[in-house]
Amino acid sequence: MSLVAEAFVTQLAATEPWPENAALYQQLKEEQILLSDNASSLAVQAFLQMCNLPVRVVCRANAEYMSPSGKVPFIHVGNQVVSELGPIVQFVKAKGHSLSDGLDEVQKAEMKAYMELVNNMLLTAELYLQWCDDVTVEEITHPRYGSPYPWPLNRILSYQKQWEVRRKMKAIGWAGKTLEQVLEDVDQCCQALSQRLGTQPYFFNKQPTELDALVFGHLFTILTTQLTTDELSEKVKNYSNLTAFCRRIEQQYFEGHDKDSSTTVAARSAKRSLLR
Amino acid sequence: MAAPMELSCWGGDWGLPSLHPESLTVMAYAKFSGAPLTVNTINNSWRAPKGDVPVLISEDIVISQPAKILNFLRKQKYNADYELSAKQGADTLAYIALLEEKLLPALLHTFWVEAENYCSVTKPWFASRIAFPLSLYLPGRMSREALNRILLTRGGPPLYSLTEVEAQIYRDAKECLNLLSKRLGTSQFFFGDTPTTLDAFVFGFLAPIYKVCFPRVQLQEHLKQLPNLCRFCDDILTCYFRLTVLGFAYFNEIKTQAIYDYLRAVLQRTCMLHMGRGRSNAAAV
Repeated sequence: MSLVAEAFVTQLAATEPWPENAALYQQLKEEQILLSDNASSLAVQAFLQMCNLPVRVVCRANAEYMSPSGKVPFIHVGNQVVSELGPIVQFVKAKGHSLSDGLDEVQKAEMKAYMELVNNMLLTAELYLQWCDDVTVEEITHPRYGSPYPWPLNRILSYQKQWEVRRKMKAIGWAGKTLEQVLEDVDQCCQALSQRLGTQPYFFNKQPTELDALVFGHLFTILTTQLTTDELSEKVKNYSNLTAFCRRIEQQYFEGHDKDSSTTVAARSAKRSLLR
Repeated sequence: MAAPMELSCWGGDWGLPSLHPESLTVMAYAKFSGAPLTVNTINNSWRAPKGDVPVLISEDIVISQPAKILNFLRKQKYNADYELSAKQGADTLAYIALLEEKLLPALLHTFWVEAENYCSVTKPWFASRIAFPLSLYLPGRMSREALNRILLTRGGPPLYSLTEVEAQIYRDAKECLNLLSKRLGTSQFFFGDTPTTLDAFVFGFLAPIYKVCFPRVQLQEHLKQLPNLCRFCDDILTCYFRLTVLGFAYFNEIKTQAIYDYLRAVLQRTCMLHMGRGRSNAAAV
Protein backbone atom coordinates (compact mmCIF):
# COMPACT_ATOMS: atom_id res chain seq x y z
CA MET A 1 0.00 0.00 0.00
CA SER A 2 1.18 3.50 -0.62
CA LEU A 3 3.15 5.41 1.95
CA VAL A 4 0.26 7.72 2.72
CA ALA A 5 -2.15 4.87 3.32
CA GLU A 6 0.36 3.11 5.52
CA ALA A 7 0.92 6.19 7.63
CA PHE A 8 -2.82 6.62 7.99
CA VAL A 9 -3.33 3.04 9.12
CA THR A 10 -0.44 3.32 11.56
CA GLN A 11 -2.00 6.43 13.02
CA LEU A 12 -5.31 4.67 13.41
CA ALA A 13 -3.64 1.68 15.00
CA ALA A 14 -1.79 3.77 17.50
CA THR A 15 -4.91 5.34 18.96
CA GLU A 16 -6.61 2.17 20.17
CA PRO A 17 -5.32 -0.12 22.88
CA TRP A 18 -5.05 -3.84 22.33
CA PRO A 19 -8.54 -5.32 22.66
CA GLU A 20 -9.42 -8.43 24.60
CA ASN A 21 -10.94 -10.27 21.70
CA ALA A 22 -8.02 -10.22 19.28
CA ALA A 23 -8.06 -13.31 17.15
CA LEU A 24 -5.43 -15.13 15.14
CA TYR A 25 -6.69 -17.13 12.21
CA GLN A 26 -5.01 -20.17 10.77
CA GLN A 27 -6.05 -23.32 8.99
CA LEU A 28 -7.49 -26.35 10.75
CA LYS A 29 -4.91 -27.63 13.11
CA GLU A 30 -5.53 -31.33 13.02
CA GLU A 31 -6.30 -32.02 9.41
CA GLN A 32 -5.36 -29.19 7.14
CA ILE A 33 -2.46 -27.05 8.19
CA LEU A 34 0.92 -27.70 6.59
CA LEU A 35 4.44 -27.46 7.94
CA SER A 36 5.31 -24.00 6.64
CA ASP A 37 1.99 -22.41 7.62
CA ASN A 38 2.15 -23.95 11.05
CA ALA A 39 5.67 -22.58 11.52
CA SER A 40 4.57 -19.06 10.55
CA SER A 41 1.53 -19.24 12.78
CA LEU A 42 3.53 -20.48 15.74
CA ALA A 43 6.06 -17.69 15.22
CA VAL A 44 3.31 -15.07 15.43
CA GLN A 45 1.78 -16.72 18.48
CA ALA A 46 5.16 -16.79 20.21
CA PHE A 47 5.76 -13.14 19.35
CA LEU A 48 2.41 -12.06 20.79
CA GLN A 49 3.02 -14.13 23.92
CA MET A 50 6.40 -12.48 24.34
CA CYS A 51 4.73 -9.06 24.11
CA ASN A 52 2.11 -10.19 26.64
CA LEU A 53 -0.71 -9.51 24.26
CA PRO A 54 -3.62 -11.92 24.57
CA VAL A 55 -4.88 -13.50 21.41
CA ARG A 56 -7.08 -16.49 20.76
CA VAL A 57 -6.39 -18.86 17.93
CA VAL A 58 -9.28 -19.53 15.59
CA CYS A 59 -9.03 -22.33 13.07
CA ARG A 60 -10.88 -21.92 9.81
CA ALA A 61 -10.64 -23.95 6.66
CA ASN A 62 -10.60 -20.87 4.46
CA ALA A 63 -8.09 -18.87 6.49
CA GLU A 64 -5.81 -18.51 3.49
CA TYR A 65 -8.55 -16.86 1.47
CA MET A 66 -9.63 -14.57 4.25
CA SER A 67 -6.14 -13.25 4.70
CA PRO A 68 -5.42 -9.89 3.03
CA SER A 69 -2.15 -11.13 1.60
CA GLY A 70 -3.10 -14.72 0.93
CA LYS A 71 -0.80 -15.99 3.64
CA VAL A 72 -1.54 -17.28 7.09
CA PRO A 73 -1.57 -16.40 9.88
CA PHE A 74 -3.42 -13.15 10.14
CA ILE A 75 -4.71 -11.33 13.17
CA HIS A 76 -7.99 -9.52 13.54
CA VAL A 77 -7.58 -6.72 16.03
CA GLY A 78 -10.37 -4.22 16.48
CA ASN A 79 -11.06 -2.96 12.97
CA GLN A 80 -7.88 -4.09 11.36
CA VAL A 81 -6.68 -7.26 9.75
CA VAL A 82 -2.92 -7.73 9.46
CA SER A 83 -1.15 -10.78 8.09
CA GLU A 84 2.37 -12.17 8.28
CA LEU A 85 4.97 -11.63 10.94
CA GLY A 86 6.65 -8.55 9.45
CA PRO A 87 3.55 -6.35 9.20
CA ILE A 88 2.24 -7.71 12.53
CA VAL A 89 5.46 -6.64 14.26
CA GLN A 90 5.09 -3.15 12.81
CA PHE A 91 1.42 -3.01 13.77
CA VAL A 92 2.18 -4.03 17.33
CA LYS A 93 4.97 -1.48 17.43
CA ALA A 94 2.54 1.23 16.39
CA LYS A 95 0.44 0.28 19.40
CA GLY A 96 3.43 0.84 21.62
CA HIS A 97 4.71 -2.67 22.26
CA SER A 98 8.08 -3.58 20.91
CA LEU A 99 10.64 -6.22 21.72
CA SER A 100 13.57 -4.73 19.86
CA ASP A 101 13.68 -1.20 21.28
CA GLY A 102 16.65 -2.00 23.44
CA LEU A 103 18.85 -2.94 20.50
CA ASP A 104 21.30 -0.54 18.94
CA GLU A 105 21.46 0.10 15.21
CA VAL A 106 24.00 -2.56 14.37
CA GLN A 107 22.07 -5.16 16.37
CA LYS A 108 18.85 -4.20 14.62
CA ALA A 109 20.58 -4.68 11.28
CA GLU A 110 21.80 -8.08 12.43
CA MET A 111 18.35 -9.06 13.62
CA LYS A 112 16.78 -8.16 10.29
CA ALA A 113 19.52 -10.04 8.45
CA TYR A 114 18.95 -13.19 10.50
CA MET A 115 15.19 -12.96 9.99
CA GLU A 116 15.81 -12.82 6.25
CA LEU A 117 18.11 -15.83 6.58
CA VAL A 118 15.33 -17.84 8.22
CA ASN A 119 12.84 -16.73 5.58
CA ASN A 120 15.22 -17.30 2.74
CA MET A 121 16.51 -20.71 3.75
CA LEU A 122 14.28 -22.40 6.31
CA LEU A 123 10.93 -21.31 4.97
CA THR A 124 11.90 -22.00 1.37
CA ALA A 125 13.24 -25.42 2.35
CA GLU A 126 9.94 -26.19 4.10
CA LEU A 127 8.00 -25.12 1.03
CA TYR A 128 10.26 -27.20 -1.16
CA LEU A 129 9.82 -30.25 0.99
CA GLN A 130 6.06 -29.86 1.07
CA TRP A 131 5.39 -29.10 -2.53
CA CYS A 132 8.32 -30.24 -4.66
CA ASP A 133 9.28 -33.54 -3.07
CA ASP A 134 7.02 -36.07 -4.72
CA VAL A 135 6.80 -38.54 -1.86
CA THR A 136 5.81 -35.90 0.69
CA VAL A 137 3.39 -34.31 -1.76
CA GLU A 138 1.56 -37.55 -2.40
CA GLU A 139 1.44 -38.82 1.14
CA ILE A 140 1.03 -35.71 3.23
CA THR A 141 0.43 -32.48 1.37
CA HIS A 142 -2.30 -33.37 -1.10
CA PRO A 143 -4.44 -35.23 1.45
CA ARG A 144 -4.06 -32.52 4.06
CA TYR A 145 -4.34 -29.37 1.97
CA GLY A 146 -7.72 -30.06 0.43
CA SER A 147 -9.18 -32.13 3.25
CA PRO A 148 -12.07 -29.77 4.18
CA TYR A 149 -13.35 -29.73 0.66
CA PRO A 150 -15.17 -32.39 -1.37
CA TRP A 151 -13.74 -34.12 -4.38
CA PRO A 152 -12.81 -32.84 -6.98
CA LEU A 153 -12.29 -29.42 -5.40
CA ASN A 154 -9.67 -30.72 -3.01
CA ARG A 155 -7.48 -32.06 -5.79
CA ILE A 156 -7.90 -28.95 -7.93
CA LEU A 157 -6.96 -26.61 -5.07
CA SER A 158 -3.91 -28.55 -4.08
CA TYR A 159 -2.68 -28.87 -7.66
CA GLN A 160 -3.18 -25.16 -8.17
CA LYS A 161 -1.17 -24.35 -5.07
CA GLN A 162 1.52 -26.81 -6.05
CA TRP A 163 1.83 -25.22 -9.47
CA GLU A 164 2.17 -21.77 -7.88
CA VAL A 165 4.85 -22.87 -5.45
CA ARG A 166 6.80 -24.71 -8.13
CA ARG A 167 6.76 -21.62 -10.33
CA LYS A 168 8.20 -19.62 -7.50
CA MET A 169 10.88 -22.22 -6.80
CA LYS A 170 11.86 -22.15 -10.45
CA ALA A 171 12.12 -18.36 -10.44
CA ILE A 172 14.49 -18.31 -7.47
CA GLY A 173 16.58 -21.20 -8.71
CA TRP A 174 15.53 -23.88 -6.22
CA ALA A 175 13.75 -26.06 -8.75
CA GLY A 176 16.99 -27.68 -9.82
CA LYS A 177 18.01 -28.63 -6.30
CA THR A 178 17.79 -32.16 -5.03
CA LEU A 179 16.43 -33.03 -1.61
CA GLU A 180 19.95 -33.65 -0.32
CA GLN A 181 21.03 -30.17 -1.37
CA VAL A 182 18.00 -28.64 0.31
CA LEU A 183 18.74 -30.55 3.51
CA GLU A 184 22.32 -29.34 3.34
CA ASP A 185 21.07 -25.78 3.09
CA VAL A 186 18.89 -26.38 6.15
CA ASP A 187 21.92 -27.72 7.96
CA GLN A 188 23.96 -24.66 7.01
CA CYS A 189 21.21 -22.37 8.22
CA CYS A 190 20.87 -24.24 11.51
CA GLN A 191 24.62 -24.12 11.96
CA ALA A 192 24.59 -20.36 11.46
CA LEU A 193 21.73 -19.94 13.94
CA SER A 194 23.44 -22.21 16.45
CA GLN A 195 26.70 -20.31 16.19
CA ARG A 196 24.92 -17.00 16.57
CA LEU A 197 22.96 -18.23 19.60
CA GLY A 198 25.99 -19.74 21.27
CA THR A 199 25.35 -20.20 24.98
CA GLN A 200 23.03 -17.25 25.43
CA PRO A 201 19.42 -17.78 26.42
CA TYR A 202 18.14 -15.66 23.53
CA PHE A 203 19.68 -14.30 20.37
CA PHE A 204 20.15 -10.83 21.77
CA ASN A 205 21.17 -11.24 25.33
CA LYS A 206 18.56 -11.70 27.99
CA GLN A 207 15.42 -10.48 26.27
CA PRO A 208 13.63 -12.25 23.45
CA THR A 209 12.98 -10.43 20.22
CA GLU A 210 10.97 -11.16 17.09
CA LEU A 211 13.92 -13.12 15.78
CA ASP A 212 13.59 -15.54 18.70
CA ALA A 213 9.88 -15.91 17.96
CA LEU A 214 10.52 -16.61 14.29
CA VAL A 215 13.29 -19.13 14.92
CA PHE A 216 11.22 -20.83 17.60
CA GLY A 217 8.24 -21.10 15.28
CA HIS A 218 10.19 -22.77 12.52
CA LEU A 219 12.46 -25.01 14.57
CA PHE A 220 9.75 -26.23 16.92
CA THR A 221 7.50 -27.10 14.02
CA ILE A 222 10.28 -28.94 12.24
CA LEU A 223 11.14 -30.84 15.38
CA THR A 224 7.61 -31.89 16.16
CA THR A 225 6.02 -32.60 12.82
CA GLN A 226 5.97 -36.12 11.59
CA LEU A 227 6.90 -36.33 7.93
CA THR A 228 7.70 -39.25 5.70
CA THR A 229 11.32 -39.14 6.81
CA ASP A 230 13.07 -37.82 9.86
CA GLU A 231 15.92 -36.21 7.99
CA LEU A 232 14.74 -32.65 8.43
CA SER A 233 14.28 -32.89 12.17
CA GLU A 234 17.56 -34.77 12.51
CA LYS A 235 19.34 -31.80 10.97
CA VAL A 236 17.95 -29.54 13.67
CA LYS A 237 18.56 -32.04 16.47
CA ASN A 238 22.26 -32.01 15.68
CA TYR A 239 22.47 -28.65 17.39
CA SER A 240 21.75 -29.08 21.05
CA ASN A 241 21.61 -25.39 21.88
CA LEU A 242 18.80 -24.96 19.36
CA THR A 243 16.70 -27.74 20.90
CA ALA A 244 17.37 -26.31 24.36
CA PHE A 245 16.30 -22.89 23.05
CA CYS A 246 13.02 -24.31 21.74
CA ARG A 247 12.36 -26.14 24.98
CA ARG A 248 13.04 -23.00 26.98
CA ILE A 249 10.62 -20.88 24.99
CA GLU A 250 7.98 -23.58 25.03
CA GLN A 251 8.21 -23.85 28.79
CA GLN A 252 8.25 -20.16 29.39
CA TYR A 253 5.59 -18.96 27.04
CA PHE A 254 3.33 -21.84 26.19
CA GLU A 255 3.03 -24.25 29.04
CA GLY A 256 1.64 -21.84 31.56
CA HIS A 257 -1.57 -21.50 29.62
CA ASP A 258 -4.38 -23.96 29.98
CA LYS A 259 -7.00 -22.04 28.06
CA ASP A 260 -8.05 -23.88 24.95
CA SER A 261 -5.91 -26.56 23.51
CA SER A 262 -4.99 -24.45 20.54
CA THR A 263 -2.71 -22.17 22.50
CA THR A 264 -0.72 -25.02 23.91
CA VAL A 265 1.31 -26.39 21.12
CA ALA A 266 1.25 -29.77 22.75
CA ALA A 267 -2.18 -30.67 21.41
CA ARG A 268 -1.59 -31.65 17.84
CA SER A 269 -1.95 -35.00 16.25
CA ALA A 270 1.18 -36.80 15.14
CA LYS A 271 3.32 -34.69 17.40
CA ARG A 272 6.22 -35.76 19.50
CA SER A 273 6.86 -33.70 22.56
CA LEU A 274 10.28 -32.20 23.08
CA LEU A 275 10.20 -33.27 26.67
CA ARG A 276 10.63 -36.93 25.95
CA MET B 1 49.66 -27.58 -8.27
CA ALA B 2 46.04 -26.66 -8.81
CA ALA B 3 44.57 -27.13 -12.23
CA PRO B 4 44.15 -23.93 -14.21
CA MET B 5 40.78 -22.34 -13.67
CA GLU B 6 38.85 -20.33 -16.18
CA LEU B 7 35.92 -18.09 -15.47
CA SER B 8 33.46 -17.09 -18.14
CA CYS B 9 31.46 -14.04 -17.29
CA TRP B 10 30.03 -10.79 -18.58
CA GLY B 11 32.48 -8.02 -19.20
CA GLY B 12 32.55 -4.58 -17.69
CA ASP B 13 32.21 -0.93 -18.40
CA TRP B 14 32.04 2.39 -16.56
CA GLY B 15 35.13 1.43 -14.60
CA LEU B 16 33.89 -1.95 -13.46
CA PRO B 17 35.41 -5.30 -14.39
CA SER B 18 31.92 -6.69 -14.90
CA LEU B 19 28.36 -5.41 -14.99
CA HIS B 20 26.77 -8.60 -13.77
CA PRO B 21 26.46 -8.78 -9.96
CA GLU B 22 27.16 -12.49 -9.69
CA SER B 23 30.17 -12.36 -12.00
CA LEU B 24 31.49 -9.42 -10.04
CA THR B 25 31.08 -11.31 -6.76
CA VAL B 26 33.10 -14.26 -8.04
CA MET B 27 35.82 -12.03 -9.49
CA ALA B 28 36.10 -10.08 -6.24
CA TYR B 29 36.33 -13.25 -4.16
CA ALA B 30 39.03 -14.60 -6.46
CA LYS B 31 41.04 -11.41 -5.99
CA PHE B 32 40.56 -11.46 -2.23
CA SER B 33 41.61 -15.07 -1.82
CA GLY B 34 44.39 -14.94 -4.38
CA ALA B 35 42.93 -17.60 -6.65
CA PRO B 36 44.56 -17.56 -10.08
CA LEU B 37 41.55 -17.29 -12.37
CA THR B 38 41.71 -16.55 -16.04
CA VAL B 39 38.76 -14.38 -16.80
CA ASN B 40 37.13 -14.73 -20.20
CA THR B 41 34.56 -12.08 -20.84
CA ILE B 42 31.75 -13.06 -23.11
CA ASN B 43 32.22 -11.34 -26.40
CA ASN B 44 30.57 -11.38 -29.72
CA SER B 45 31.28 -14.95 -30.63
CA TRP B 46 29.48 -18.23 -30.72
CA ARG B 47 31.75 -19.76 -28.13
CA ALA B 48 29.73 -18.21 -25.31
CA PRO B 49 28.86 -20.71 -22.57
CA LYS B 50 25.37 -22.05 -22.48
CA GLY B 51 23.47 -21.81 -19.25
CA ASP B 52 24.05 -19.64 -16.25
CA VAL B 53 26.77 -17.11 -16.16
CA PRO B 54 29.28 -16.97 -14.42
CA VAL B 55 30.71 -20.38 -15.15
CA LEU B 56 33.94 -21.77 -13.72
CA ILE B 57 35.71 -24.38 -15.78
CA SER B 58 38.57 -26.30 -14.25
CA GLU B 59 39.79 -29.28 -16.25
CA ASP B 60 36.56 -31.23 -16.67
CA ILE B 61 34.57 -29.68 -13.89
CA VAL B 62 31.96 -27.06 -14.78
CA ILE B 63 30.37 -25.11 -11.94
CA SER B 64 27.80 -22.46 -12.42
CA GLN B 65 26.34 -20.64 -9.42
CA PRO B 66 28.33 -18.14 -7.34
CA ALA B 67 27.78 -19.99 -4.05
CA LYS B 68 28.97 -23.23 -5.59
CA ILE B 69 31.92 -21.57 -7.30
CA LEU B 70 32.99 -20.02 -4.01
CA ASN B 71 32.68 -23.40 -2.29
CA PHE B 72 34.85 -24.95 -4.96
CA LEU B 73 37.49 -22.25 -4.55
CA ARG B 74 37.48 -22.79 -0.81
CA LYS B 75 38.02 -26.50 -1.30
CA GLN B 76 40.99 -25.66 -3.49
CA LYS B 77 42.42 -23.84 -0.46
CA TYR B 78 41.63 -20.35 -1.70
CA ASN B 79 39.77 -19.26 1.37
CA ALA B 80 39.18 -15.63 2.24
CA ASP B 81 37.34 -16.50 5.45
CA TYR B 82 39.89 -18.42 7.46
CA GLU B 83 40.30 -15.64 9.97
CA LEU B 84 36.61 -15.36 10.72
CA SER B 85 35.09 -16.67 13.92
CA ALA B 86 32.08 -18.99 13.83
CA LYS B 87 29.71 -16.17 14.69
CA GLN B 88 31.12 -14.00 11.92
CA GLY B 89 30.64 -16.85 9.48
CA ALA B 90 27.00 -17.04 10.59
CA ASP B 91 26.64 -13.28 10.14
CA THR B 92 27.99 -13.63 6.60
CA LEU B 93 25.21 -16.05 5.70
CA ALA B 94 22.57 -13.82 7.26
CA TYR B 95 23.71 -10.67 5.45
CA ILE B 96 23.93 -12.48 2.14
CA ALA B 97 20.31 -13.60 2.65
CA LEU B 98 19.40 -9.98 3.40
CA LEU B 99 21.03 -8.83 0.17
CA GLU B 100 19.24 -11.44 -1.88
CA GLU B 101 15.84 -10.79 -0.39
CA LYS B 102 15.87 -7.00 -0.14
CA LEU B 103 18.39 -5.59 -2.57
CA LEU B 104 18.37 -7.99 -5.49
CA PRO B 105 14.76 -7.29 -6.64
CA ALA B 106 15.47 -3.57 -6.89
CA LEU B 107 18.76 -4.23 -8.66
CA LEU B 108 17.04 -6.47 -11.19
CA HIS B 109 14.35 -3.86 -11.63
CA THR B 110 16.81 -1.04 -12.26
CA PHE B 111 18.69 -3.05 -14.83
CA TRP B 112 16.05 -5.09 -16.59
CA VAL B 113 12.53 -3.91 -15.92
CA GLU B 114 12.63 -0.12 -15.77
CA ALA B 115 11.77 0.70 -19.37
CA GLU B 116 14.05 3.68 -19.92
CA ASN B 117 17.05 2.01 -18.35
CA TYR B 118 16.51 -1.23 -20.18
CA CYS B 119 16.02 0.27 -23.63
CA SER B 120 18.74 2.85 -23.50
CA VAL B 121 21.48 1.12 -21.56
CA THR B 122 21.08 -2.54 -20.62
CA LYS B 123 19.72 -3.97 -23.84
CA PRO B 124 22.23 -2.34 -26.20
CA TRP B 125 25.12 -3.20 -23.91
CA PHE B 126 24.25 -6.86 -23.59
CA ALA B 127 23.16 -7.19 -27.20
CA SER B 128 26.51 -5.89 -28.37
CA ARG B 129 28.21 -8.71 -26.52
CA ILE B 130 26.08 -11.55 -27.78
CA ALA B 131 26.35 -12.99 -31.24
CA PHE B 132 23.64 -12.26 -33.77
CA PRO B 133 20.87 -13.55 -33.91
CA LEU B 134 20.88 -14.48 -30.21
CA SER B 135 21.34 -10.81 -29.46
CA LEU B 136 17.80 -10.22 -30.61
CA TYR B 137 16.38 -12.79 -28.21
CA LEU B 138 18.53 -13.20 -25.11
CA PRO B 139 18.26 -9.70 -23.60
CA GLY B 140 14.48 -9.92 -23.89
CA ARG B 141 14.48 -13.26 -22.19
CA MET B 142 16.69 -12.02 -19.36
CA SER B 143 14.33 -9.10 -18.90
CA ARG B 144 11.29 -11.35 -18.75
CA GLU B 145 12.99 -13.63 -16.24
CA ALA B 146 13.84 -10.67 -14.04
CA LEU B 147 10.26 -9.38 -14.09
CA ASN B 148 8.98 -12.88 -13.41
CA ARG B 149 11.25 -13.25 -10.41
CA ILE B 150 10.22 -9.90 -8.98
CA LEU B 151 6.52 -10.58 -9.39
CA LEU B 152 6.65 -14.11 -8.06
CA THR B 153 8.64 -13.29 -4.96
CA ARG B 154 7.30 -9.84 -4.08
CA GLY B 155 4.21 -9.28 -6.15
CA GLY B 156 1.53 -11.08 -4.21
CA PRO B 157 -1.52 -9.35 -2.73
CA PRO B 158 -2.12 -6.75 -1.26
CA LEU B 159 0.12 -5.21 -3.89
CA TYR B 160 -1.83 -5.53 -7.06
CA SER B 161 -0.15 -3.28 -9.57
CA LEU B 162 3.40 -3.13 -10.79
CA THR B 163 3.84 0.43 -9.52
CA GLU B 164 2.99 -0.64 -5.98
CA VAL B 165 5.40 -3.55 -6.19
CA GLU B 166 8.08 -1.19 -7.49
CA ALA B 167 7.49 1.25 -4.67
CA GLN B 168 7.78 -1.54 -2.11
CA ILE B 169 10.94 -3.08 -3.54
CA TYR B 170 12.72 0.26 -3.76
CA ARG B 171 11.74 1.03 -0.20
CA ASP B 172 13.11 -2.32 0.92
CA ALA B 173 16.31 -1.77 -1.08
CA LYS B 174 16.90 1.64 0.47
CA GLU B 175 16.34 0.18 3.92
CA CYS B 176 18.79 -2.60 3.11
CA LEU B 177 21.40 -0.04 2.01
CA ASN B 178 20.89 1.86 5.25
CA LEU B 179 21.35 -1.34 7.27
CA LEU B 180 24.54 -2.20 5.40
CA SER B 181 25.89 1.27 5.96
CA LYS B 182 25.20 1.03 9.69
CA ARG B 183 26.83 -2.36 9.86
CA LEU B 184 29.92 -1.19 7.97
CA GLY B 185 30.33 1.92 10.07
CA THR B 186 33.82 3.32 9.73
CA SER B 187 35.81 0.15 9.25
CA GLN B 188 37.39 -0.65 5.95
CA PHE B 189 35.74 -4.01 5.37
CA PHE B 190 32.85 -5.72 7.08
CA PHE B 191 35.01 -7.89 9.31
CA GLY B 192 38.06 -5.84 10.14
CA ASP B 193 40.89 -5.14 7.76
CA THR B 194 40.83 -8.06 5.37
CA PRO B 195 38.09 -8.62 2.84
CA THR B 196 35.97 -11.76 3.08
CA THR B 197 33.09 -13.48 1.29
CA LEU B 198 30.59 -10.95 2.60
CA ASP B 199 32.65 -8.09 1.18
CA ALA B 200 32.68 -9.87 -2.18
CA PHE B 201 28.90 -10.23 -2.19
CA VAL B 202 28.24 -6.68 -1.05
CA PHE B 203 30.67 -5.34 -3.62
CA GLY B 204 29.08 -7.46 -6.33
CA PHE B 205 25.65 -6.02 -5.59
CA LEU B 206 26.61 -2.44 -4.85
CA ALA B 207 29.18 -1.67 -7.53
CA PRO B 208 26.80 -1.93 -10.52
CA ILE B 209 24.30 0.34 -8.76
CA TYR B 210 27.07 2.76 -7.94
CA LYS B 211 28.87 3.02 -11.23
CA VAL B 212 26.55 2.32 -14.12
CA CYS B 213 25.04 5.48 -15.60
CA PHE B 214 21.33 4.99 -16.04
CA PRO B 215 18.68 7.55 -16.92
CA ARG B 216 16.56 6.52 -13.89
CA VAL B 217 18.82 6.33 -10.87
CA GLN B 218 16.89 6.59 -7.62
CA LEU B 219 18.85 3.74 -6.05
CA GLN B 220 22.16 5.26 -7.09
CA GLU B 221 21.23 8.59 -5.61
CA HIS B 222 20.32 6.92 -2.33
CA LEU B 223 23.60 5.01 -2.37
CA LYS B 224 25.57 8.19 -2.94
CA GLN B 225 24.15 9.56 0.29
CA LEU B 226 25.87 6.74 2.17
CA PRO B 227 29.52 7.76 1.87
CA ASN B 228 30.97 4.78 3.68
CA LEU B 229 29.46 2.36 1.16
CA CYS B 230 30.75 4.45 -1.75
CA ARG B 231 34.17 4.53 -0.17
CA PHE B 232 33.99 0.76 0.29
CA CYS B 233 33.33 0.19 -3.43
CA ASP B 234 36.00 2.65 -4.52
CA ASP B 235 38.56 1.08 -2.21
CA ILE B 236 38.00 -2.38 -3.60
CA LEU B 237 38.10 -1.10 -7.15
CA THR B 238 41.36 0.77 -6.67
CA CYS B 239 43.12 -1.86 -4.55
CA TYR B 240 42.07 -5.04 -6.25
CA PHE B 241 40.86 -4.14 -9.70
CA ARG B 242 43.05 -1.20 -10.60
CA LEU B 243 45.28 -3.05 -13.01
CA THR B 244 42.37 -4.67 -14.79
CA VAL B 245 40.38 -1.48 -15.01
CA LEU B 246 43.33 0.71 -15.91
CA GLY B 247 44.46 -1.98 -18.30
CA PHE B 248 41.11 -1.78 -20.08
CA ALA B 249 41.15 1.98 -20.09
CA TYR B 250 44.76 2.15 -21.18
CA PHE B 251 44.21 -0.35 -23.93
CA ASN B 252 41.16 1.51 -25.11
CA GLU B 253 43.13 4.70 -25.07
CA ILE B 254 45.98 3.20 -27.03
CA LYS B 255 43.51 1.83 -29.53
CA THR B 256 41.76 5.16 -29.81
CA GLN B 257 45.06 6.98 -30.11
CA ALA B 258 46.27 4.61 -32.80
CA ILE B 259 43.08 5.02 -34.79
CA TYR B 260 43.28 8.78 -34.41
CA ASP B 261 46.89 8.88 -35.60
CA TYR B 262 46.08 6.71 -38.58
CA LEU B 263 43.13 8.84 -39.60
CA ARG B 264 45.15 11.98 -39.22
CA ALA B 265 47.88 10.54 -41.40
CA VAL B 266 45.35 9.57 -44.04
CA LEU B 267 43.78 13.01 -43.93
CA GLN B 268 47.11 14.72 -44.24
CA ARG B 269 48.07 12.62 -47.18
CA THR B 270 44.74 13.26 -48.85
CA CYS B 271 45.11 16.99 -48.31
CA MET B 272 48.63 17.01 -49.62
CA LEU B 273 47.54 15.10 -52.69
CA HIS B 274 44.74 17.60 -53.30
CA MET B 275 47.01 20.55 -52.70
CA GLY B 276 49.64 19.02 -54.87
CA ARG B 277 47.10 18.49 -57.66
CA GLY B 278 45.86 22.02 -57.18
CA ARG B 279 49.36 23.38 -57.43
CA SER B 280 50.14 21.34 -60.45
CA ASN B 281 46.80 22.44 -61.97
CA ALA B 282 47.62 26.00 -61.16
CA ALA B 283 51.06 25.49 -62.60
CA ALA B 284 49.58 23.95 -65.70
CA VAL B 285 47.20 26.85 -66.16
